[in-house]
Amino acid sequence: MIEGVPPVLNLTELAEREKEEGKVSEIIIRFGAENLMACMQCGACASICPLARVGFEWFNKKLIKAILVGMKEELLDDPTPWACVACNRCTEICPRQVSPFEVMFAMRRLMVEEFAIPTLAIEALRALYEYGHAVYMTGREARKKVGLPEKPPSTDSDEKALQDLRTILKETKLAQLGLIPME
Amino acid sequence: MPKIGVYICHCGENIAGAVNIEEVKKFVEKLPDVVVVRDYLFMCSDPGQELIKEDIRKGLVDRVVVAACTPRTHEPIFRRACEEAGLNKYYFEMANIRDQCSWAHWHDKEKATEKAKQLIAAAVAKARLLEPLEDRYIDLNKNVLVIGGGIAGIFASLDLANAGFKVYLVEKSPSIGGNMAKLDKTFPTNDCSACILTPLMVEVANHPNVELITYAEVESVEGTVGNFKVRVRKKQTYVDWNKCTGCGACLNVCPPKARVPDEFNEGLSLRGAIYIPFPQAVPKKAVIDPDACISCSGRWFGEEPRRTKDGKPILAPCEKVCPTGACSRDEPRDPNGEIVELDVGAIIVATGYRVMDKSNFKEFSPESPNVITALQMERLISATGPTEGKLIVPSDIPKYLDWKKKVEKGKEAKLEVRKPHTITFVSCVGSRDERYHTYCSKVCCMYMLKQAMLLKEKYPDLDIYIFFIDVRTPGKDFDEYYMRCRKLGIKIIKGKVGGVQRLPDERLLVKGFDADLGKPVELISDIVVLATAIEPNMDLKDLARKLGISVGAEGFLRERHTKLYPVDTLTEGVFICGCAQGPKDIPDSVAQAKAAASSAMSLLAPGKMRVEPLISEVDQKKCSGCGICVPLCPYGAIELVDVNGKKRAKVNEAKCKGCGVCAAACPSKAITLHGFTYEQVLAQIRTLARRGEVSA
Repeated sequence: MIEGVPPVLNLTELAEREKEEGKVSEIIIRFGAENLMACMQCGACASICPLARVGFEWFNKKLIKAILVGMKEELLDDPTPWACVACNRCTEICPRQVSPFEVMFAMRRLMVEEFAIPTLAIEALRALYEYGHAVYMTGREARKKVGLPEKPPSTDSDEKALQDLRTILKETKLAQLGLIPME
Repeated sequence: MPKIGVYICHCGENIAGAVNIEEVKKFVEKLPDVVVVRDYLFMCSDPGQELIKEDIRKGLVDRVVVAACTPRTHEPIFRRACEEAGLNKYYFEMANIRDQCSWAHWHDKEKATEKAKQLIAAAVAKARLLEPLEDRYIDLNKNVLVIGGGIAGIFASLDLANAGFKVYLVEKSPSIGGNMAKLDKTFPTNDCSACILTPLMVEVANHPNVELITYAEVESVEGTVGNFKVRVRKKQTYVDWNKCTGCGACLNVCPPKARVPDEFNEGLSLRGAIYIPFPQAVPKKAVIDPDACISCSGRWFGEEPRRTKDGKPILAPCEKVCPTGACSRDEPRDPNGEIVELDVGAIIVATGYRVMDKSNFKEFSPESPNVITALQMERLISATGPTEGKLIVPSDIPKYLDWKKKVEKGKEAKLEVRKPHTITFVSCVGSRDERYHTYCSKVCCMYMLKQAMLLKEKYPDLDIYIFFIDVRTPGKDFDEYYMRCRKLGIKIIKGKVGGVQRLPDERLLVKGFDADLGKPVELISDIVVLATAIEPNMDLKDLARKLGISVGAEGFLRERHTKLYPVDTLTEGVFICGCAQGPKDIPDSVAQAKAAASSAMSLLAPGKMRVEPLISEVDQKKCSGCGICVPLCPYGAIELVDVNGKKRAKVNEAKCKGCGVCAAACPSKAITLHGFTYEQVLAQIRTLARRGEVSA
């Protein structure tokens, strides 16, 4: 390494780390991205990905490549997977049936396991538990003013559905991690 | 009086769009000896030809002029129509009123029409003077020479031999097999190369119709299609092949000082001066490499042996150990070998390729023994390779060979060699590179994937990186093969390596770029495999010159037409196949070899070849014997012969191609080029000079 010059990506270091900690690709496959290895880096997923469009660094195609060469630490602090809106366009367009969306979500699961969750994500998870929506509706007063029910006709207003959701969430790893209060 | 029929073709809109057909018809009707004028949308179509045939059959016409497209493609069609209707086909003349008339003057219809009139008038003027001619037949020699005994040459030979043709298979190395014999396994099925090749080597060598001439090269080629005379130089083997049984006793006794890099192992090991290229060689015969032999007994072939004090002759180790006396040095041997002459009707060139040497690429530290070419990698993983297929770093091969020698001698020895953990492949080394070769070598992507796959399947803990510019897998089952590699976890990185640095511990620092991550990358590798370009053999140009065929800018043999005549050359009777024509894989080489064999068969099978009678003839009464024509003939078809004590020119009908150079040059007008006589050509010129007025 030359001082003052940003380091290059050291593939040997990555390979050695994988030998100790297991292959990143295998972890991601275990977390749900079963067809990860079929990716040929064509870029179709990135061409339609809203994250790539607005400039998130580790959008689908690039994230997959990083996983394939064994990057992990470098990805854990990154908020991109939590910004994924699960539009699933990547899954539809992928010519190799990789389901890049699944890779994004597998990455989320890895991050949760590694306690590497950005604040943004914790807030979203809390909202999920509280309201049944990661992104929940604000402005209840405004709804009332125009004659709409205070809560939208979703989990938010359905006490039974919300309780069911909470029951499910309590069964997940999220509860064990104790990242958000679940009473 | 001749009765000329003129048939004007519209060629759809091609001619009629610029030429006023009605006006031309009116003009042509008035030309002397013209009795019938007809026009049709497509004269070459069946109904168009029928118009002509009908007029001939009814006796209306006895000369035919078709004004249409180019005689290059359509003259044979109309000649056949005349013949089928019972008219001598050389009573036919064609006026091209399309290529250089309607097409060229598309925007000036008046002038196009005027030009069409004149061109037809000139053709009519010539048609009045046409003579009936008879096609000639030349006898064809049915033997075929195949140059090169790799997979392409073997297949071309087998197909011809099975069809009953006698084949001479000439190979410059001591054994046939070519580059394929060096390969470990073959994509996309991973068949063992030797397992599919060696039975074919045996089959071709034992075929009753094949005469195998190995360790030989083509010296010169004379003659033309159907009758080539080829001189082949059989190189001096310095071993009596009639006696050599291929037992191999001589191989191990050749002293260390006489050992040189082994061609079969791509220099990864050494061979003696006396050697058999590989254990499965066909024929399995030893040769002595005179440049490597150090004459350790102190005498060369034919010299008196040195003697011990008690008078016994001192023999070279190879001579001493040979059980059949094949290595005897008693007789002198001609270093130039022996010339054999072959008479053949066709020649197939299948001389293959070579791979670029790594020394060309200083940026990849070629001085490191652990930077190897892909062909060297084949040898390293092959069961017939220097390590019997055991994967070690190449820098430890000498250690391995020492160990093996000790063990073979019954000594105890410990094998201490390094096994690689990381292997890196670099694509497009010398290919797609303006400094070396601009073309894609076509097989490298697939063989890199193959080697990576074989290694990864055998040693799953290996880290394998392949640096590609593009992964090119256009072939049956090829992309599926690529996907199999990806799924095995072989790391495929888009971006060519820019540098390899040799480290003190003989490992290598590889500097690349990952285009997907947009980052420069580095890694430490135990072996770096360079996919060096496939290039033409050094002596290919020389061979092409001897055969009268051409090479392209990139140095490979040039086919007559890329799409339609891919195995033909501009010299009739000479066919090409395999990598001598351009880089290709085994399936393509075999397909081309079979195509070349089939083309040679369809040429030679009839035993005779029809040739147009449009050749030169000398009127020996007019010939003064000046000999001007002899050196002018580009085909060497004219010689001066003795006629009643005087020198007279004589045309060899088999060699004459009808170019007309001799007829134009003859000061006595003693040479006639049939089909283009003085009178015929002058009548055309005069008519054109008089703007279409045909002189009576």
